[in-house]
Amino acid sequence: MISEQLSYSPVAGRWDEMLDVDGALRPTWQAAARALGPFDPRDLLDRQRQADRLLDAEGTGHLVHELSLATDRHGNSAAARSVSRPWRLDPIPFLIDAVDFQHLTQGAVERMQAVDALLADCYGPRTLVAEGVLPASLLHSLPSFRQVAGSHRPPAWLVHYAVDLVRDARGAWHVVHDLTDAPSGFGYSLLNRSVLARVMPEGLRGLGVAAIHDHADFLRQALAAVTPSGRISPRSVVLTPGPADATYVEHSYLATRLGLHLVEGADVVMRAGRLWLRVLDGLEPIDVVYRRVGDAHLDPLEPGHHGGGSGVPGVVWGARAGGITLANAYGSALAEAPELAPFVHEASTRLLQRELSLPLWTEGAQLASSPVFVDGGLEGRPVVLRLQVARVGDEFVVMPGGAGRVLAEGDHPARPTAQVVKDVWVTGSGARVRHHVPLGAPPQVDFGGSVPKRVADALYWLGRAAERAEVTARAARVITTQLEQDPMLPTIADGAWAAGAVALLRAAQSLPTAPIAFGVSAGDAVLAELNSTSNAAAAQLAALVQEAASVREYLSTTTGRVLGRLARVHADLADGSVGVDDLDGFLVDLAALSGLMMESTVRGPAWRFLDLGRRLERALAVLGAVEGALGLAVTGFAQQPVADAVLKAHESLVAYRRRYRSEFDLDAVLDLLLRDDGNPRSLAYQLDRLREHVSGLAWPEGASLVLAASTQALAGIDDAVVNGRVVSVDAFVLSVRGPLLDLAAAISQRWFADPVNPTLMRGF
Amino acid sequence: MTRFRVVHRTEYRYGRPMADGFTATHLAPRPTPHQSVLSTVLHIDPQPDEFDAAHDSYGNPVALFAVHHPHETLLVESTIEVDVSVPPPVPWSPPWDDVAAVAAGATGDLAEELGPYLAHTSATPRLEVLAELTVGFTPGRPVADVVSELCYLVFTTFRFDAGATDVTTPLAEVMQERHGVCQDFAHVAAAALRSVGLPARYVSGYIETVPTPGEPKLIGVDASHAWCSVWAGELGWLDFDPTNDQMPPQRHVTVGWGRDYDDVAPVRGVVIGPSGEQSLVVAVDVTALD
Repeated sequence: MISEQLSYSPVAGRWDEMLDVDGALRPTWQAAARALGPFDPRDLLDRQRQADRLLDAEGTGHLVHELSLATDRHGNSAAARSVSRPWRLDPIPFLIDAVDFQHLTQGAVERMQAVDALLADCYGPRTLVAEGVLPASLLHSLPSFRQVAGSHRPPAWLVHYAVDLVRDARGAWHVVHDLTDAPSGFGYSLLNRSVLARVMPEGLRGLGVAAIHDHADFLRQALAAVTPSGRISPRSVVLTPGPADATYVEHSYLATRLGLHLVEGADVVMRAGRLWLRVLDGLEPIDVVYRRVGDAHLDPLEPGHHGGGSGVPGVVWGARAGGITLANAYGSALAEAPELAPFVHEASTRLLQRELSLPLWTEGAQLASSPVFVDGGLEGRPVVLRLQVARVGDEFVVMPGGAGRVLAEGDHPARPTAQVVKDVWVTGSGARVRHHVPLGAPPQVDFGGSVPKRVADALYWLGRAAERAEVTARAARVITTQLEQDPMLPTIADGAWAAGAVALLRAAQSLPTAPIAFGVSAGDAVLAELNSTSNAAAAQLAALVQEAASVREYLSTTTGRVLGRLARVHADLADGSVGVDDLDGFLVDLAALSGLMMESTVRGPAWRFLDLGRRLERALAVLGAVEGALGLAVTGFAQQPVADAVLKAHESLVAYRRRYRSEFDLDAVLDLLLRDDGNPRSLAYQLDRLREHVSGLAWPEGASLVLAASTQALAGIDDAVVNGRVVSVDAFVLSVRGPLLDLAAAISQRWFADPVNPTLMRGF
Repeated sequence: MTRFRVVHRTEYRYGRPMADGFTATHLAPRPTPHQSVLSTVLHIDPQPDEFDAAHDSYGNPVALFAVHHPHETLLVESTIEVDVSVPPPVPWSPPWDDVAAVAAGATGDLAEELGPYLAHTSATPRLEVLAELTVGFTPGRPVADVVSELCYLVFTTFRFDAGATDVTTPLAEVMQERHGVCQDFAHVAAAALRSVGLPARYVSGYIETVPTPGEPKLIGVDASHAWCSVWAGELGWLDFDPTNDQMPPQRHVTVGWGRDYDDVAPVRGVVIGPSGEQSLVVAVDVTALD
C-alpha cells in the first residue's frame, strides 16, 4: 500500500525499486514520500497530463511529429518520412541513491574505456585476433567493421558513449549493450528533465536531485578537446541526416543546447583536407563533427556505404589525414555489434588489465521491476537505464541521471516497444557534488554572421510561405464574411461583385484572373474559388512548417511553439474542409508568428533572408490584388464592397476609413495600397524594406533591381489612374512585377544556388 | 613469363559542370609470387586538386583524389606493365578438411592473413543452396582437386550473360537464375569455399582476350575481370578462374584482392553538382608485349 487510494504489488520474489521484500518503502522512496507527499492517483494523473502536454509542445515545437507532408517546394516527394512517435513521460521518476549510482558510474566508465580499447585494437594491432581470442573471420564478417585505407589513429575513438543497463531479479546490475556510433538519448534526457522540473519542482528540490543540464557543457568541452592540433578558435558542428530522421527532435534540441550549428551533409564540403561549412559569403572551416549520422551513412566514398551519394564525400579520408575530427571516430559502430559484446570483457582484462565490475545481461534472465503509472494505477515493470558518458580529455564524465525506458511484456531490453520513459533522479547525499573538469575555455568567437546557405534558403522560403499563407487566409476570410453579412452580394450589379471577389481570391493564390465560366452562377463561382483559396492557405501552411522544421534552431523557443500550433492546425485541416473559425485561428497564429519574427529574432543575416522573403511576397501580393480586383472596370454598387474587400484583405480598411472618410475613391485606395510608405502593407513600404535588405547584403545587383521596381512604382501609378479612372493598371503592375520577379530569381541564384546533390559514380 | 601492358580508361561525362568530385581507385597492381610490377601510371584529367596514395586494409594500393573546380568530364586512365608467370601445376596438395581445420585454429599472423577471407559478407553470404557446389568435398580429398572441380562446376552450370546482372545483384538471385558475369562467379566460388571453412579471396584484375583466328584484335574490347583464390595450406594461395574454367589462370593480370567486389571496386566516385545526363565509358586493353 503506497497510499490510501493507490495499491502497488510488484511480482513477488523479484527485486523492486520502490518496495523491499517486506513490502516497505526503500530508504530513497521514504525520502521521496516525504518530499512529494503521498501518492494520489488523481494527482499523478494531473502530473501525467501536464507532462504529456509539455512534452508534446516541445516535440511539436520541433515540428517533426507533423512532418508527413507531401511535397517540398522543389516538387520532391517526401515519401516514407519516419514519423517519430511522441513518447510518454512517466510521472513517477526512477530514483537511485547517489552511492548506488556511483557504482553504475564506475561501471559505465570502465565499460567505455574497454570498448574504446577494443575499437583501437580491432582497427590497430589486433592483438586479440593474434592471441586467438577474437576470431578474425568473425571480425571481418561484421558489416560494421569498416575497411579504412591506411593507418587510422583518431584522437579518441569514443568522445560520447552511452550504455543500457538493467537490474536483475536479485538486484544486481547488468550491461545490455553499448552505444557507440551516434548514441541517442542525451537530448531526450535533458528534455525529459526540463518537463519534470515543471511538473514536480518540489520533488527535484526536496530530494536534492542531481542536476544534469551542465552535461551539455561537458559534451561541448569534450568535442573541443579532440580538435586537430594547431587550430585557433576551433569550431564544432552537429551533423544530422535531416528532418526525415526519427531522432531529429533530439538533434535540433542538442544543437540548440550545445550552441553549435546543426548541419546536413549538403551544408558542408571537404576541400584541401579540411571540412568547410557553406555559408552565405563562402566557406568557413570546421574542426570537429559531432555526428548524428551513423558510420554506414557517413561517407559515400567508403566501401560498404549505404544510401547512394548521401553523406559527406571524403570526410573519412580527411579524418584519417587528421584534418577533421569525427566524434565518434569513423568505425565506432563496430562496438555495437552484438557478436562483439562478449569480447569487451576480454579487451578490458587483456588490454587494460582490469576486470569489469558490471557483467553482461544473459539473454532471458529475469529483471527487477519499477512502479509505473498505468491506467490510473501502479504496475511493476522492468526499466532499462541509459547512461551518458562524455570523455573530456582524459576525464570521463557520467551524466548524473538519464533516461529509463519502460519495457512492455515480452520486450527484449535492447528493443523496448512501450514508448514510456522515466526520468532518472540521482538522490541522497553526494548527489549534488558537481563534477569539475578544468579545461581552458576556447577563445570566444562570434558565429552570428555565419549562416549556412541552406538555412538562408529555408528562411527565405519560410518568409514567403508565411506571407502567402496569410494573404490567402485573409482573402478567404474577408470574402466569406462579406457573403455572410449580405448573401445577395453575388447578384448585384450583374455579378460585378462576384467577378471582383473571384479576382481577389485568385490573386491571393497567385493565379491569373479568369472570367466566370458560362453556365456557372456567380454565387457558385465565388464558393468554388473560396474553397480552393482555403486549400491553398492550408498548402502554404504545410510549406511553412516544412521549411521551419529544418531551421528550427534559428527561431526562438516561442516561435517554435507557435509553429507547432500551426503544424497541428494543418494536421487538423488535412481531413476536412476549412471553415471561417479555422481561418480566424490561424490568422491569429500567423500574426503571432510575424510578430515574433520581428520582435524575437536577432537582426542578422538569418533574419534578413526571412524578412526578404516576407517583403517580396507581400509586394507581389499587393500588386496581384490591385491587378486582379481593382483592374476590373468594377462600377456602380459593386465598387464599394470590392474596394472594401481589397483594403481589408491587406489590412488597410481601418486606415482608409480613418483617413479618407469618403465612400469610395480609387485614387485614395491606390494611394494607400501602393504609394503610402507609412502603411506597412503598402507596396512602397515593402520596397523600402527590400532596399534596406539588399543594401545590408552589400549586393549591387539586388539594389539595382529594387531600384528599378521603385522607379516604376512611382512613375507608373500616375499614368495608371487618371481622374479617378483606371487607365492601365495592367501595364503598371507588369512594369513593377518584372523587376521583383527578377529579384526573386537573382536571390536564389546569388545566395542559394549551390550544387548540393552528391551522386555516386561507379566504374568497372 | 609474359609481359603485359594494360590500359584501363574510365571516362565520366556529367552533362553539367560539377563543383567537386571525389574518387577512390583500385587500379594500381600489387606484386604477387607470380607477378612483378614494372610500372604504374595514373593519368587524371582534369588535374586533381588533391591526391593521396595509400594501402587499404588488404594491402592493395589505393589512390584517392579530388577535383574542386568546375568540370564536366573526368578521365581516369591507368597504364600498367607487369611480368606474369603461370604457376606450375601442383603435383600434390593437402586434404581440404585439414586446410580448413588449420585455418579455423589459426592464431597470430596466420589468423590475420586468413581471417578476412573466411568471412561471409553481404555479397558472399552463407546460403544453403551453395552446398550443391561442394558435394564433392568428401573428407581427405586434396584441396586442389576439389577446388578444380568446383571451378568446373561453376563454369558448366552457370551461363555467362553480360546483361543479366550488375554489381548489386544478390548472390541468391545468381544462384537461382544460374547466370551472371565474372564478378558473380567469383562471388559464388568464394562463398561456396568459405561455407566449408576454406579461406577464399575475391581477386580483381584483367584477362587478355584472344582474337578470333585470322582477325585483328580490336582495341578496347577487353574488360576488367575477377576470379577467385583459395588458401591451400603450405602451398599458399591457388588462383582459379571459374568464368573460364582455368586453374591456374593463364593470361591474367592481378590488381588486388579482398573479400568481395566492394572491397576492390576499380573506380568509386562521388560528384557534387547539378543533376545532368550522366554517362560512363570504360575501355580496357590488355596487350602481351612479347
